[in-house]
Amino acid sequence: MRLPPQSGEWITRSKPLGFRFEGREYTGFEGDTVASALWASGVRVLGHSFKYHRPRGILSAANHDVNALMQAGGTPNVRADATPLQAGMALTAVNTFGSLEHDAGSVLGGFARFLPVGFYYKAFHSKRLFPLWERLFRAMTGLGRVDFATPRLRTPKRYGFCDVLVVGAGPSGLSAALAAAEQGADVVLVDEQTRLGGSTHGTSDLIDQVTAHPRIRVFTDTFAAGYYADHWVPLVERDRITKMRARAVVVAAGAYEQPAVFRYNDLPGIMLASAAQRLIRRYAVRPAQRVVVLAANADAYRALQDFIDAGIEVATVIDLRDDVPAEQQSMLAALRIPLHRGHCIVEAIPANDGKRVAGVRIAAVGAVTPAAEIACDGVFMSVGWAPAAPLLYQAGTKMRYDDGVHQFVPDTLPDGVFACGRVNGIHTPAARLLDGERAGSAAAAHCGFGTMKAVSVPAETESPTHPWPIVSHPKGKNFIDFDEDLQLADLENAIQEGFDNIELMKRYSTVGMGPSQGKHSNMNALRVLARATGSTPGAVGTTTARPFFHPVPMSHLAGRGFTPERRTPMQPHHAAAGAVWMPAGAWQRPEYYAVAGQLRAQCIEGEVLAVRQGVGLIDVGTLGKLEIRGPQAAEFLERVYISKYAGLKVGMTRYAVMCDESGVVIDDGVVARLADDHFYFTTTTSGAALIYRELSRWNTLWKLDCGIVNLTGAMAAMNLAGPKARAVLAGLTDVDLSFPYLAVREGSVAGVPARLLRVGFVGEWGVEIHVPAEHGAAVWDALMAAGQPHGIRPFGVEAQRLLRLEKGHIIIGQDTDGLTTPGEAALDWAVKMDKLFFVGQRSLQAIAGKPRRQQLVGFMLPAGHAGEAPKECHLVIDNGEIAGRVTSIAWSPSLSRHIGLAYVPSDMATVGKPFTIRLSDGSLVSAEVVKTPFYDPDNLRQKEAT
Amino acid sequence: MSEIVFENVSRTPRAGVKGPGAAAWLAALDVPVPRTPNSWLPLPGGLIARLGLTEFLVEGSEAEKLAAPLAPGVYPVLRQDTALVLKGDRLNDLLLETCSVDFRALDLAARPVVLTSMAGVGVTVIPGEEAGMPCCRLWCDGTYGEWFLETLTGVAGELTQSSQPRHQGTTP
Repeated sequence: MRLPPQSGEWITRSKPLGFRFEGREYTGFEGDTVASALWASGVRVLGHSFKYHRPRGILSAANHDVNALMQAGGTPNVRADATPLQAGMALTAVNTFGSLEHDAGSVLGGFARFLPVGFYYKAFHSKRLFPLWERLFRAMTGLGRVDFATPRLRTPKRYGFCDVLVVGAGPSGLSAALAAAEQGADVVLVDEQTRLGGSTHGTSDLIDQVTAHPRIRVFTDTFAAGYYADHWVPLVERDRITKMRARAVVVAAGAYEQPAVFRYNDLPGIMLASAAQRLIRRYAVRPAQRVVVLAANADAYRALQDFIDAGIEVATVIDLRDDVPAEQQSMLAALRIPLHRGHCIVEAIPANDGKRVAGVRIAAVGAVTPAAEIACDGVFMSVGWAPAAPLLYQAGTKMRYDDGVHQFVPDTLPDGVFACGRVNGIHTPAARLLDGERAGSAAAAHCGFGTMKAVSVPAETESPTHPWPIVSHPKGKNFIDFDEDLQLADLENAIQEGFDNIELMKRYSTVGMGPSQGKHSNMNALRVLARATGSTPGAVGTTTARPFFHPVPMSHLAGRGFTPERRTPMQPHHAAAGAVWMPAGAWQRPEYYAVAGQLRAQCIEGEVLAVRQGVGLIDVGTLGKLEIRGPQAAEFLERVYISKYAGLKVGMTRYAVMCDESGVVIDDGVVARLADDHFYFTTTTSGAALIYRELSRWNTLWKLDCGIVNLTGAMAAMNLAGPKARAVLAGLTDVDLSFPYLAVREGSVAGVPARLLRVGFVGEWGVEIHVPAEHGAAVWDALMAAGQPHGIRPFGVEAQRLLRLEKGHIIIGQDTDGLTTPGEAALDWAVKMDKLFFVGQRSLQAIAGKPRRQQLVGFMLPAGHAGEAPKECHLVIDNGEIAGRVTSIAWSPSLSRHIGLAYVPSDMATVGKPFTIRLSDGSLVSAEVVKTPFYDPDNLRQKEAT
Repeated sequence: MSEIVFENVSRTPRAGVKGPGAAAWLAALDVPVPRTPNSWLPLPGGLIARLGLTEFLVEGSEAEKLAAPLAPGVYPVLRQDTALVLKGDRLNDLLLETCSVDFRALDLAARPVVLTSMAGVGVTVIPGEEAGMPCCRLWCDGTYGEWFLETLTGVAGELTQSSQPRHQGTTP
C-alpha cells in the first residue's frame, strides 16, 4: 500500500512500471526497487530461505536481503531490495522447487532436527555415502540458474585517482567530503545507494553543498568492494569497475542494523526499523498497518516518530532495557503508546498460512513464560548496530570492542586511513556530522591540504546497541543467520562439539558464509560464542574480512581484459597465404599454410618436402634479437653463455646456450660477431623479454663497459632454406653466398641493409636474413617472387619442428624443463667448464661427479609401426615404473619412420637399447635408442659451400 | 569534439641512442639534451625525449644527426616503433581505461615523459595539450602496434558511443 507523497521520496508517481513476479502482473513506479514495488502491492513473501525454504520478506531493504534473490531473465540472484524496478521485468524467486506458492522444498523445515549443525561435514564423513550426499547436495543447493547462452559482457575497468576517497555518503561521509574539499583536496564520494544521504533524513542542505562543490565527484549506486595496498579501492558500478587510487581514504560506511533473535523472527513482516523507514521515506510504502516496535536504543524512538507520521499504528513498544531514558518514556506517554520495559519478544506468531506475522508473545527479559500476546502485522526491530568495517579490517585497522557502545571501533588506523560516523562508534546524528568534519579535515591535511581542524566530537551518552538481543526458545526457529537458516541452538551445539573459536565456528556452522557474509549474523554469533565460553565479544574477536566486501558480478570480474598480441611485419602475407595460426607467447605464428583439398598433415608434409627438396621460407621474426656493443661485450657474453665467445672470429656465429644460476638450461640462440666490440645474437621466441631483462640486470651488476639493445621488435627475420635457397637469394643480394656455414655477413637483400646468418637449424643450406622491421614485408615479397621459379613455399612452425627434429636439434622448453641441465639435454659439448666464470658454472661443477638422473636420446619406432604412435609427454616405462618421457615425436617423411626425442635413465641411453612407451590407453609401444641426427648425420647438406 | 582522433605518425624519422656517453655525444652534435630523466625538449621539426638516465629518442628531421660516427659508450638503438598522436576531449577517459598512470596529475610545463604500460603494452608517452584539448604522443614496439591501435580505437569507440561518465559534479 502506498502512502501519500513523502518529502524527498524516490519514486516518480507519474511513471508507473508494469512487471511480473512469479507469473503475476504488478505495477510499481520508476524509482522503486523490486522489493518496494512488491511490498506496495501487498506481496509479503519475496523468497524462500536457502536451507528450510521458509517464507521470507523484507529484512533490511539495504542490499542485504539475500532471501529475496530473484531470477530476472538470464540474470540470477538479482537482489530485490536494491535492484531498480524496470518495466517489463519477469522475475521469479530463485530458491524454490516449483514456485514460491507451491515449493516442494518447504517440507525440509519439518526435517530440521535431522539437519544438525555441521551436517555437511557429518554427511561427508562416510566415504561410502559420499557420492550419494554429493548428488543430493548438488541437486538441493545453489541459487539461480546460469544461462550459458548469455553473451560475454566486456564490462570496462578503468583507473581513477583522487586525493581523498570517502566511502559512504551518510551524514558523516557527506560532512567528511565537504570538509576535505573545503581544504583543497580532490574528493571522490561513493555510496551504494542511488541517492546521497544514507539512511538519515534532514541532510538535504549538506547534499546540495556536496553536489555543487567543484572538488567533489560523487559516485552513487556504487560500492567500494575492497581495500588494497596503497589506498587502492575498487569501486563497483553497475556497468564498470573503477580502480580508485586515493592518497587518503575516509571510511564512513555506517553500520548494519542488527536483528533481534527470537522464535520465528524470520516471518515476513518482521523487519529492521531502518528497513521500515526506507520503505516509508524512499518509496512511500506502508510497511505494515499495526506494528510492535522492539527497541533497545534511541534510534528506535527516532524511527518510531516516522512510523507515527506515516499513519502506522504502533501497538506497543517492547524495550529490552530496564532503564529507558526519561525522554523516550515521555515520548511514548505523549503518544499514548504502551511501553514494556525490560521485556523481549519470546516468539512471533505466524498467521494461519504461516507466511506472515500475526502477533507476538512477550515476556520479561529472562522469563520463560509469555506475559502477553499482541496482535500485529509488523514487527520493527531496533536493538543495535554492527559497524560496516570490512574495508577498515582489510586496510589493517586494529579494532577494539567498546563496551560503551557495544561494538567494535577502530583503535589504531593505518596511515592515510580515517573513519567516522557509526563505523567509528558515533551514532548521534549531530555527532556524526562533527565526526565526519574531523575525519575529512584530517584526511585532507594528510594529503597536504590545510591543517587538521580541532573538532570536538561528543561521546555517546547511551549505547546504541544492546549487548544481548537474543532470546532462547526450547522449540528453536530463533534464527541468527538468515542466509543459512542457522538457529541459536545450532551455534550452541557447534560450540559444544568443540568449535569454540570464532573462525572454527564459522566454518563448521557456516555462520556468516552466505551471500550477505554475516552482515546480520556475525555480531550475534560472536556474542553467543562469548557467552558460551565465558569470554567477552572483544576477546572472541571477529573473523577475517577479505575482499570482496559485497558480491561483485562475474561480468565485472571477467570483463574487458587486455591480452596483447604481437605481429611480425609479414603477418598479412601469411594470412593471404592461408596461414593457420598458433600462439607462441604473445605472438601468433603460422602453424602451417592451408592448401585447398589437403589435410593438415598433408600441408605440413608438403612444406617439409619443399625445404628438403627445393626451397622454403619461414618467418622467424619472433626470435629475440639483441645487440651488444662495447669493449667488454665479449667478456659479457662469456659470462652469460656456457660456451666461449672471446675467441669467436669476426664474421662468424656460434650456438649459444644459457643457464640460470642453478645450472638449468633456460635459453638458446646464435651469437654473431660483427666486430671486435659488436655482437648480434638471438634468443628463443618465448624467452626474448625475460632474457633481455636478465641480461640487463647482469650488466647493471657487473658494470662492464658494454651496452645491450633489444632489437626484437625492430628487426624482421626470415629463414630461407633448402637446396635451391642459394639460387633464390643470389639474384637479390650483393653478398657472396659462398660464405661458410655458421658465418655472418652484412650486405643488402632486395636493396635493404641486411644481416645474413648461415644457419642449419632445419638441416639444409639456409640463411637467416635479418632486416629492419619496416622492410620485412618487402624482403619477404622479394624472396617469394624470386623463389617462384623454384617452387618456393612458405613453411610454418610445425614443418620447422619436424625438420629440426630430423636433425636432432632441441627446442628449449619442449625438450627441456625447469630442471634440465646441459648434460641431460646432450649439450655437454657446448659447456666450457674451463672458462673463468659463467652463470650456472658453480652449480654444474657441483653436480659434475654425480650420476645423471636422465639423458635426452633420439629414438625410433620400429619400421612399419602400424598402430597408434606415442605423443609428446607420453611416459617411458621400465619394469612397470616411470623411467622418462617423450619430449618430441613425429612421422618423418624423409625417413619414413616415427622419430623422436625422449628422456630415459642414463643406463638406458645407449644406441640400440630398446625401451617401451606407454600410450594414453595404457598399451605399450616399443622404441629403440638411435643416434642423432636422424637425417644427414654428417650435416653435409647444411654445410654445403657451393 | 566528442571523438578521440588517432594519428599514426610511425613514418616520422626517428632514431635512438643509449649508453653512458650518449648525452655528451648528443651535445657535441648540437642536439639539445633534456637535463632530467623522463623529460623532453622540442627540436626544430621534432623532439628529443630522455628515457631514463642514458637513453634518448630523437624524432623529426634532427634524427638524421644520429647517423654521425659513434663515440665510446654510445650505442645506437634502431627505432621501428609504432608512433601515435591521440587527441580529443574524451582522451583522458581512454587513458583511464587502459593505463594506471594519472596523466592529469602531471605538470605539463615540466615536459614529462612517461614510460608505462597501456592496455598491457609497454609505451612511452608524452602528454600534452593542443588548443585546450588534451593530447598525447606515444610510442610502442612496432610488433604490438597493430593490435595496440585496434584495441585503443575499440575502447575509444565504446567511449564515444556511450553516455557521459555517470559520476556527478565537476571533474577537476
